[in-house]
Amino acid sequence: MPVYKKPESIIHTAGYCGGCGHGVIQRLIAESIEELGLQDRVIASVDIACAFWAQDAMNFEFIAGPHGRCASVATGIKKVRPDATVYVHAGDGCSYVIGLDETCYAAIRDVPITMIVVNNGIFGMTGGQMNLATTLVGDKTLSSKTGRKRETMGHPVDMLKAISNFDVEYLARGALYDAKHIDQTKRYIKKGFENQRDKKGFSLIEVLSPCPTNWKLSPVEAMEKIKNENEKMFPLGVYTDRGGER
Amino acid sequence: MAKASANTELCKGCRLCVGACPKQAIIPLETVNKKGYEIIRIEQESCIGCGICYKVCPDYVFSVE
Repeated sequence: MPVYKKPESIIHTAGYCGGCGHGVIQRLIAESIEELGLQDRVIASVDIACAFWAQDAMNFEFIAGPHGRCASVATGIKKVRPDATVYVHAGDGCSYVIGLDETCYAAIRDVPITMIVVNNGIFGMTGGQMNLATTLVGDKTLSSKTGRKRETMGHPVDMLKAISNFDVEYLARGALYDAKHIDQTKRYIKKGFENQRDKKGFSLIEVLSPCPTNWKLSPVEAMEKIKNENEKMFPLGVYTDRGGER
Repeated sequence: MAKASANTELCKGCRLCVGACPKQAIIPLETVNKKGYEIIRIEQESCIGCGICYKVCPDYVFSVE
């Protein structure tokens, strides 16, 4: 029988809300890095948002740059420390709205970093405002009190489809609503780190994650919402896998 | 046979493990831990050591060995 134990790279509990997906994603990152034996030279870039807590929890080097600029910070780290494993742990607000140009240009430059984007469809840390890229039509948030309207607030965007127009190494989307999909997401994240180890190119893994506090649902209901609603708008799977040929 | 054990001081009362357990071996309790969250208890007789609770838990409460 396999033994399941908390990865050694996680040294502390983080201050996430109960039922938050960030904790699971953190574990998947730590497990993938440990299984590949890369844990001695890891530098991570986190956003000034919920992912910031990862600094307390994990035994890696961290840099939190200006808000939303994670991909640029990670690009800089990778340029001066090409041997280090550099990853980004950031939310959808950072990567797809505030730092959209940074994400796009990191992808266009094809920097060999691993970017993990937590898509919870909302600005979590600031109190639950609407995210133009990922909040579903009809979802009530702090800045769309009667639900997001298509006419005035636009339609959410599948950013992986947009980024797949660039020449990047790996794009995939996973979810966290049951153990099977958590395992699948872990395979994607591990593949992202393998690509970086083999110096192949830019890998971005998006994870559909719940935010029960700001969605104003119980954690179990939030997982149901991802399964029934968010997954329809943001289909899971691998979008691009170049296989190392630049 | 491997069995799950729980460090309930880390628990944040999200109850994701309760629905995920294939054997309904995780019982939600009204007892609270030091942080003030309602915790859970594992029914050791029913546990099959599958590790699903470990996978779904966001706060690393469970270990299976």
